[in-house]
Amino acid sequence: MSEPFFAARGIAKRFGGLLAVDDVSFALGKGEVVSVIGPNGAGKTTLFNLLTGQLAPSAGEVAFNGQVINALPPERRARLGLGRTFQIAKPLVTLSALQNVMVGTFLRHPRLHDAEDRAWAVLAQVGLAHRAELRASQLTLSERRRLEVARALALEPVIILLDEVMAGLNATEIGEAIALFQRIHGAGMTFLIIEHNLKVVRAFSERVIVIDHGRKIAEGSADDILSRPEVVTAYLGSRRH
Amino acid sequence: MDALLHVLVIGVLLGGIYGLVALGLNLIFGVIRIVNFAHGELVMLGMYGAYLAYSLLGLDAYVSILVVVPALFVVGLVVYRLVLQPLHGESSMQIFATFALVIIFQNVVLAVTRGEGYSVPSRIAGHTLELGDVRVTVSRLAILAAVTLAAVGLHLFLQRTMVGKSIRAVTQDRQAARLMGINVERTFMITFGVGSALAGLAGVLLAPIYTLSPGIGGNFILAAFAVVVLGGLGSVAGAYAGGMIVGIVEAFAGYYIDPELKQAIWFLIFLAVLIVRPSGLFGQPGAEEIGFREQE
Amino acid sequence: MDATSAAYVETRAARAGGIPRVQRAAALYLGGLILAFVPLAVLSNDAFWLTVLTYTYLFAGLAVAWNILAGFGGQFSLGHGVFFAIGAYVTATLFVDHGLSPWVSLVPSALASAIVGALIFLPTFRLKGSFFAIATLAFNEVALVLANYAESLTGGPRGIQVPFRAGFANMIFADSRGYAILMLGFMALAVGVSVVLMRTRLGYYLLAVRENEDAARAAGISVVQVKLRATALSAALTAVGGALFAMYVRTIDPPTLFSLPDVGVKFALLALIGGMGTIVGPVLGAFLIVPLESYLRALLGGSLPGLHLIILGVVMLLAALFMRRGITGVIDAALVRWRHRRRHV
Repeated sequence: MSEPFFAARGIAKRFGGLLAVDDVSFALGKGEVVSVIGPNGAGKTTLFNLLTGQLAPSAGEVAFNGQVINALPPERRARLGLGRTFQIAKPLVTLSALQNVMVGTFLRHPRLHDAEDRAWAVLAQVGLAHRAELRASQLTLSERRRLEVARALALEPVIILLDEVMAGLNATEIGEAIALFQRIHGAGMTFLIIEHNLKVVRAFSERVIVIDHGRKIAEGSADDILSRPEVVTAYLGSRRH
Repeated sequence: MDALLHVLVIGVLLGGIYGLVALGLNLIFGVIRIVNFAHGELVMLGMYGAYLAYSLLGLDAYVSILVVVPALFVVGLVVYRLVLQPLHGESSMQIFATFALVIIFQNVVLAVTRGEGYSVPSRIAGHTLELGDVRVTVSRLAILAAVTLAAVGLHLFLQRTMVGKSIRAVTQDRQAARLMGINVERTFMITFGVGSALAGLAGVLLAPIYTLSPGIGGNFILAAFAVVVLGGLGSVAGAYAGGMIVGIVEAFAGYYIDPELKQAIWFLIFLAVLIVRPSGLFGQPGAEEIGFREQE
Repeated sequence: MDATSAAYVETRAARAGGIPRVQRAAALYLGGLILAFVPLAVLSNDAFWLTVLTYTYLFAGLAVAWNILAGFGGQFSLGHGVFFAIGAYVTATLFVDHGLSPWVSLVPSALASAIVGALIFLPTFRLKGSFFAIATLAFNEVALVLANYAESLTGGPRGIQVPFRAGFANMIFADSRGYAILMLGFMALAVGVSVVLMRTRLGYYLLAVRENEDAARAAGISVVQVKLRATALSAALTAVGGALFAMYVRTIDPPTLFSLPDVGVKFALLALIGGMGTIVGPVLGAFLIVPLESYLRALLGGSLPGLHLIILGVVMLLAALFMRRGITGVIDAALVRWRHRRRHV
């Protein structure tokens, strides 16, 4: 397997005088689960925005399935099979949960009834079928997170990028979420996750990439990285889980 | 050469008028981000205020500034508090409400004056001066002087006074301003008052030039928006320069291209600037984004 | 079928009640149409109210057309007068100069308007909220100046007069009821288009773009394409309204067509007051404001000048302050309260 499934090569982003992301490279194989960890403001979300096309890189390239996708806008990348959630959940507030997901399912199913049927299936998959007809604005935080994931799943992606999707959830909700992701992973999905919660990282990652000040400072298996004292110290005391 | 100078002078004087009207709108649109359609009507109220001051108190137009401008300040405060503040965050409804105000203001004045046209004489205004080959009336020069003074005054106000500084803070970042203890709502209200007062000033100075009619505000409002956008939101120098640009372009277009097309020309320039650089010629890039982030 | 899928199919069937959605939408639509026809049936012998009703139907349709781009798409346009005028000018010119039946001219009118709309709105789509509104306003003003100037095309300031040659093919009716039915048909068309649109992918994508462009892009939506399509549709419908208007009043000129308070901004006002972003909202807004305005003018127009407009302005102001979401918002809120009370008895 010469071409990695999804890769960033020398990605960098400069905002005026600030180098937010500096020469980051990594590669994902199909079906891998990789977590990106690092302190606040390290540039993780900026990195995501570069990968999904929300931002254009100042240098480097992003490759998906062997194709360099730098020039593609976010919607084209989504159509190629790249799904993402946003750190600040962006539900379409005046629409129902069902309609939110339909916006996603319409991509592969242009007809109303097909899109609707698929949306019900996705909602069932994330456990929101019973809340389908409520307005997105009426959902709880955990439900909104699941809606974000649902909308990404609705695109039938082959790789999904999750941005701090566990933030603010309680232990039960986190457990449910991990179970959901493991089910999806079992069906062949590739995951790239930004996550602060190290328990989640340990439970649901094969590899971990550490980003600090925009640079990749470490990469390895989850067990290896998370047992390094400097990584653990950087996190202890700054976040409560 | 003569013609060029003549057109230039006309353009600059016209620019003074546009700049003066736009100065207040620049403050309102630039700071609070309200599309205040009724700004032209505030100018109109200033004009009629000058007339009232003349007919009731015998005041010369330029003296009545002392009465009309504070009155318009109060009108602005009231309008903001009663109509615009309750609709905070609903920009469509705000536009709707200002449009309702246009209809109300125009027709109240129409009903009160029963459609009679008025004019406001001024002992000083009628005189003409000769600059080289060009004859200029004092009234238009006075406007040019006024807009320059007002722009400088406004600039100093924004830079040096506490109120002015809080207005600038609120323009740049409402959240941060709030966190620093600035009462954003009150700042908006004062801003609207000052903007209205400036509109009143424009009205008084324009009164000797135009025949008063309730609908006269409509002549200025679109040009005022064009000036505000061209010059750059929240930039006093921008409003001043924008006014000059619009005035000069209109004068030149009117003379060299076609008088019938002159308005279309600066509208097109305005559109070009809006599309290429929405923050305006003198505004900070990205300035137009502020104010929409909070409207959630 | 696994357990999860079975569960969802069951939930869905239970909720739908077994009635296929298409038929329910069609039934509602036809019911609404009949309801809208009632005033016509009742008032057809009163010349004054017949005229009012004709204008009401027309502006209801125009407000619905505007709402497609502004309410559903979130693009608050104040430049729809341009599309209205294109429809009027194209149809009137083709009829007067070439004897082409207005029914046929509706197609080139709509097409021209859609193309112009797509072209001029495209560069402005990146503008936010109020800036977009002002830019479209500028379009209206430029078009006004150009219409006055291009005398050979538009008849200049005098405009175009359509001679009274009655006949169905000419879309000129000796009996005013013909016009009322024509405008009702236009309203039905506009509402029908709205209803169908909201059951298609474009409709959903439009809503998504309105709510959050970033999220829309992440869902694979080409924001620019969606906005363009909505603009073309909205402009085309508006142009049809303009064409019908031309054949109704039979004298069109720039001050009338590009008048902001009577045309360009009015579409927005009617939709706002009725409820922007809903299908029936603009219709309700038109049915409130147009008759009210005409009635006030008839009642008070002779007395104090401007009085009827003062009252109208105050009504509009109060509506803005107390009916933030328009008439449909008030109805929605009442329904929520009613359901809440029922559940907690």
